[in-house]
Amino acid sequence: MFGSSDYVSLQWLSAIGLSLLISLSVRAETIEVLTYEESPFAVKVGKTHHGLLVDMLKEMFSRTSLDYKLRFIPLKRAIVTTERMPGHCVLPVARSQEREAHFHWISPVLVSRYGLFSRSNQTIPLTSLSDAKPYKIGSFLGSGIGEYLTDLGYDVELASVSAQNLRKLKRARIELWAAELVSAQEQMQKQAINFGVPELIFYTSLRAMACNKEMPREQTLALENALKSMYRDGYMSRLYLEYGVKI
Amino acid sequence: MSDIRQNKLFTLLLLSIAWLSLDVHALFEPQLKSAEYWVTNEFQPSTLTQAEQMQEMNWFVEASKPYFGLQIRVVSERIATHGYEASVLAKAFFEITGIHVVHELTGEDDVINKLSAQIFTHQNLYDAYINDSDLIGTHFRSNAVLPLSDFMKNEGAAVTLPTLDLQDFIGLKFTTGPDGKLYQLPDQQFANLYWYRHDWFNREDFKQRFRLRYGYELGVPQNWQAYEDIAEFFSDDVKEIEGKRIYGHMDYAKTDPSLGWRMSDAWLSMAGVGDKGLPNGLPVDEWGIRVEQCRPVGASVERGGALNGPASVYAVDKFIYWLHRFAPEESIELNFTQAGEWPGKGLIAQQIFWYTAFVADLTKPGLPVMNPDGTPKWRVAPSPVGKYWQDGMKSGYQDTGAWTLLKNTPLERQQAAWLYAQFVVSKTVSLKKTLVGLTPIRLSDIESDVMTQRAPYLGGLVEFYRSRGRDVWTPTGTNVPDYPGLANYWWHYISQIIEGKVTVQKGMDNFAAAVDKRLKRIGKRADMKCAPKLNPISKREFWLNAPGAPKREISATQVGKTLSYEEAINVWK
Repeated sequence: MFGSSDYVSLQWLSAIGLSLLISLSVRAETIEVLTYEESPFAVKVGKTHHGLLVDMLKEMFSRTSLDYKLRFIPLKRAIVTTERMPGHCVLPVARSQEREAHFHWISPVLVSRYGLFSRSNQTIPLTSLSDAKPYKIGSFLGSGIGEYLTDLGYDVELASVSAQNLRKLKRARIELWAAELVSAQEQMQKQAINFGVPELIFYTSLRAMACNKEMPREQTLALENALKSMYRDGYMSRLYLEYGVKI
Repeated sequence: MSDIRQNKLFTLLLLSIAWLSLDVHALFEPQLKSAEYWVTNEFQPSTLTQAEQMQEMNWFVEASKPYFGLQIRVVSERIATHGYEASVLAKAFFEITGIHVVHELTGEDDVINKLSAQIFTHQNLYDAYINDSDLIGTHFRSNAVLPLSDFMKNEGAAVTLPTLDLQDFIGLKFTTGPDGKLYQLPDQQFANLYWYRHDWFNREDFKQRFRLRYGYELGVPQNWQAYEDIAEFFSDDVKEIEGKRIYGHMDYAKTDPSLGWRMSDAWLSMAGVGDKGLPNGLPVDEWGIRVEQCRPVGASVERGGALNGPASVYAVDKFIYWLHRFAPEESIELNFTQAGEWPGKGLIAQQIFWYTAFVADLTKPGLPVMNPDGTPKWRVAPSPVGKYWQDGMKSGYQDTGAWTLLKNTPLERQQAAWLYAQFVVSKTVSLKKTLVGLTPIRLSDIESDVMTQRAPYLGGLVEFYRSRGRDVWTPTGTNVPDYPGLANYWWHYISQIIEGKVTVQKGMDNFAAAVDKRLKRIGKRADMKCAPKLNPISKREFWLNAPGAPKREISATQVGKTLSYEEAINVWK
């Protein structure tokens, strides 16, 4: 029995080894890309995914020999998972100094411009952001731009979700709405409210794809080069225009 | 053609020209009126007369006509000077020129990320950046930054202010590449100086106690030994003033990116790690990186650098020793911003490394460090230097935020942005801007009567900028070829040492090896000017026995040396 037992163990070990090898090689080839729902950038409907970032990812990987699998999970979990597990990336993430050393970065995957919208029947001429000081500005809880304006001493009123700001602006409960331009387009379309163009586009933010630090250099390089070519040959500008915005 | 007909045509032509000029003048009359308003109501005082200011503004009105109605974007870090530009000067510029500037404020790291993103993507994200001259080594190598000296001669000639007076800028050397070209135009500057409680240092009882214990006068320390003695005296001997615990030293060490700035901003140079040379030592200085023929050849001693040499280990050792021994217990958990509030509490006797960007905050009436007449109880003075430092080396750090244009910005937008850049540093505007932000860039402002009147209220800031100190306190030099890529290494590796995970020597060895690895990688970029090319690895002794940096260990301790404030200031002259 001892012998046979050894044989069984060896067989079993070989099977484990083989499956490990297979899973490792798949992991090396298939990158798990994690994202979270944020319309119109990444939206999950049943088993289908769509949105600006989903289109961008498809194009970026198509320009490399790498495979990827897109999965939706909450941002915080996605960041922790990516930091701990090789073969994972997460996007879109703010590239802060605190996070810099923990990931490989592919950047910028998202260029977000922020504008201040007024009611369609009212013009508030804004030469500089400081001209907005006397006005009540709407933003939403957890919004980076809301925090930015609050830190600079502006009168910011935070709604629980971004969509509420359109109704608040329409009913003159706020005088300006601070919004990301691609999202603003979509929300105005959905709610059939048109505030036109913003009075002032006042801030640009860049977001990145963070990948696990053990990702091989040739993989990050391939993704960087693909992204670079997408900007330089005009693909990204065309993609943004599809969503109603110039980069 | 008859003479009469010729005369009629000539008259018609003259009338048309006259009508056109009248029309153009009428069209731009609001701009001229705006200029008059801003000159009278905001841009005072100035080193120019009001008539000269109007002449300068008239030039802006004329030169900006082709760009009337254009909207441009610029971005800078969030300090008081840029706040003034974004909220006041951008508006004035719009009313005077018709060029609409969106001047965005954000963190300096974000400015760098955005500038890098524009280079990477070729998308024109901004038309100009105000970015630290610490990146000069990156900029001149990148082939992405517009050399301003070329631009001013060529495509930018028509939009270059005749009264710009480049030689009046005190930080021009910091923004010039080894190729002699100007890459950035200074917009604001602040320095890291020694800060101390002038009132405490002048107390007779303290003076006597110090002299008895240390054998020399209590005064402005000239070397690190004197700084250490004074720290010990106030922390251990004096201990309390008016019933409150006081400290002989202040610093911060939280594992945070700002820990990187604490060390990368010339701490090693102050210890004497590098070679002689201004604004930066050659062949070794900033970050211990050695350059040969403008090419970085290594950071580790094994490749001729000094990042893990005896002087660097001494520099980091002293930082850690003083932090644990003399600073408040909380300081190890503080970051740059949190630590910045401490001197204002009135509990700190001295700080070796203090940003003059805090002058405005530390001169607020009512603070424990202010006198009732509005003069401060503190002073800034030349920083003490470490035992490896020699005459002819840089003595401290100065930050120069400077206008940077990228080659991939469309020409029309470069030209409009260049007009705005020159406007916010023009002599019409710059003295007022200096008084608001206390970050001077022009010698004419520094030497003005207005600054003489302000000097007693600014604790030595004016004296510093009127001395040769302004040339000896310098930003990161051209030997750092990839500032954005390497800057994060600092806090990453130094924090491991501070947290006790590795010894100082081992931590600096790891750091130097990582920098060498990065230099090797960026050296592979074929299109880079003066790209790194690593020296082969040699025995440490080979380089330690060679003249200059990296320097052999100096085992002898320093003898403490101090000077009175007046004598210390004279050192700057």
